[in-house]
Amino acid sequence: MRLTLAVHSISQMDFGSKTQLEGTRLQIDVEELRRCILQDRRLQSVDLEIARPGESCRAGYVFDIIEPRAKEPGSGADFPGILGPVTPVGQGVTHVLRGAAVTVVDGGQPGGELGYESRRGGVSKILEMSGEAAKRSSYSDLQHLVMVPRAHPDIERHAVLNALRVASCRAVVFLAQTALSQLPDSTLDFELEGPKSGNGNLPRIAYIGQIHGHQHGTESDEHILYGANTRGMMPTPLHPNEWMDGAVVISYSWGARGLETYFYQNHPIIGELYRLHQSGQANFVGAIATISSDQESEMKRNSMMGAQIAKWNLGADGVVLTKYAGGAPHTDMFETALQCEALGVKTVALTSDTASDSRAESALLINTKEVNAIVSHSEGSDVRFQLPRVERIIAGNSEVADILSGLSELTPAALCGIANNQGASRLQPIIY
Amino acid sequence: MKVVHYLNQFFGGVGGEEFADTPPNFLEGPVGPGNLLNQILPEGSQIVGTIVCGDNYAVENQQDIVSFVNAKVKEARADLFVAGPCFNAGRYGMSAGAVCEAVKSESDIPVVTAMSEENPGVDVYRGEVLIVDSGSSPANMRDVLVRIANLGAKLANDETVGPPSAEGYIPQGFLRTEFVEKTAAQRLAEMLMAKLNGESFEPEIPVTTFEPIPVPLMTTEIAKAKIALVTDGGLVPRSNPDNLPRAFSRVWGAYSIDERPKLLEEDFEVAHGGYDNAHVQQDPNRLVPVDVMREMERSGAIGSLHEEFLSTTGNSNPLENSRRIGREMAQRLKEAGVDAVILTST
Repeated sequence: MRLTLAVHSISQMDFGSKTQLEGTRLQIDVEELRRCILQDRRLQSVDLEIARPGESCRAGYVFDIIEPRAKEPGSGADFPGILGPVTPVGQGVTHVLRGAAVTVVDGGQPGGELGYESRRGGVSKILEMSGEAAKRSSYSDLQHLVMVPRAHPDIERHAVLNALRVASCRAVVFLAQTALSQLPDSTLDFELEGPKSGNGNLPRIAYIGQIHGHQHGTESDEHILYGANTRGMMPTPLHPNEWMDGAVVISYSWGARGLETYFYQNHPIIGELYRLHQSGQANFVGAIATISSDQESEMKRNSMMGAQIAKWNLGADGVVLTKYAGGAPHTDMFETALQCEALGVKTVALTSDTASDSRAESALLINTKEVNAIVSHSEGSDVRFQLPRVERIIAGNSEVADILSGLSELTPAALCGIANNQGASRLQPIIY
Repeated sequence: MKVVHYLNQFFGGVGGEEFADTPPNFLEGPVGPGNLLNQILPEGSQIVGTIVCGDNYAVENQQDIVSFVNAKVKEARADLFVAGPCFNAGRYGMSAGAVCEAVKSESDIPVVTAMSEENPGVDVYRGEVLIVDSGSSPANMRDVLVRIANLGAKLANDETVGPPSAEGYIPQGFLRTEFVEKTAAQRLAEMLMAKLNGESFEPEIPVTTFEPIPVPLMTTEIAKAKIALVTDGGLVPRSNPDNLPRAFSRVWGAYSIDERPKLLEEDFEVAHGGYDNAHVQQDPNRLVPVDVMREMERSGAIGSLHEEFLSTTGNSNPLENSRRIGREMAQRLKEAGVDAVILTST
């Protein structure tokens, strides 16, 4: 399977009379975009703003951040299962507006299990464009189209969230289609034959990544994998190119900090495994998408099957494992790693530190001598960013706007693009 | 900077093992290795006094030696307290750790000692006391004293102490988050390749081993036993009277179930942010099975159900906190004459 990313650099984003890409300047006809979003009759309005690097601007609570991308005609569909019928992705040419993002802010009502408040209390999912926190965020050097879609008041919450998801994907494609007829600045090729690929003498490596944590359920109309809500899902071999090309988006889980679709599209771990493959250090033999469960029997079954697929279908010698944020997903990830090690598949796991007392002994939820290769992105609960007063707040509603304008300090986990469960984080707990 | 130094009888020049029972003695100025340390200390600093004590005496009379050292440190108005280096001398390490910890808490001044990693004093005191890694050979004396002097000066001047590998001390087991050059993905890929190629690698969080806790023997017949229900699933009466948080709980509650045939949905709620609570909200007996226990009580399968259930939030709790909560719960149950406990988790 071969995927070519046609990369168009974006240095400027503006509203203008016509939606077009001129060199590195993206101009957006705001009314045309609004019509595109509001074809979903569940939505009654949408606020559209641009947030640029260094601007005195704060947005929240962020539903998702996505890189504008559109498939070259004939290469496959954009976000199949969400914007249209299910068809495969991961092949052909995908146009990418590098340096730009679509950031969707939830304009829904506060509270509730699927509301915007973090499950640990307090605020989360803030996009900060200026100050010291912005310097550490992967998103602060992007040009953001920030949109706040607002649903009719009688629309149920799950349908509102579904509408946000559809709107986010539509906007992404709308922007990136400006690049279809244009020559890219550069192209990046991702090609893997699959399990039988490459030099037989090199170690065979794979990725097992969770795409949802079912300790917090999903809605029946929630899109995660090719539009599926992943309830009852078993480990599924997914080509790394599919992962990066619109087969997967993040779930609604507000508790799942440090996850945005942007880093599925630009998956740091898949990128590193590709690098090892392309530089001749290893054979990247594939990826497995899985979930964490809220039932022990399902956890055991999925862990076993994930390990079996890695060993016997992919023939992996080593795997990288990630979780979907939180403690329950940690358990499933560790069980999968244990099962892999028992089959002779070596493992490295990405955890977040759970030590609220900063003691190393509390930092791993599960300690086993087999799962001995641990990378931690911490959650940086001992790091505090002082937040500047900002001139512009983009918020889902006035209540959130008040909260955001009053913020003076936040930890990394509350901000987008600093603590990240997909491998993008530069945080590390150092033992003192 | 005024420094008070602690030495055992051997390094203090009193004598070998036959003098290990010598009680503490305070001498003006530096003694033994203190002479070298005195030269290494930054300008304007000096060892104003040295306490020398026999190893056996110190271990067997810990209260005495601690009060003696605390008194001398205060009299000397010391800015820094140094003990050792102890290398791998076990009794010396244990007493050096004990006096350092005591001075730190009593006088609130920085303390530094030095031991080999194998010294039993390391396991006991590393969390509280900065221990320079001395190795086991006194031939390293000068190096070790240089590191003690550097660390001591930094601590006394409130300067930031660097990571253990840079400063030469034994890790204390605290995690501090830092921004590093490489992303987690890069670190994962490197660690995977090291593991696959049989090269050495260090986990970023140490994998800890824990002593297994033996399950106590049940001495009462179950049909006569008083059984209590304990949960870490965060079930609390409506309005959450003890304010159990949804994570990081430092508190727990005891809630009466006396006279209740079962728990009613309208009387309870869940304070826990780590699992899908819907099924418990719907029927609290699914977490704290009072209904089934009452049946067993009636049928005589158990003696009785204890009149209250205990509850806390088992979500992201540090171990030391969980240990304390466990001890407090066990004590309350023990005092109430409970014979056995059913723990329900989520």
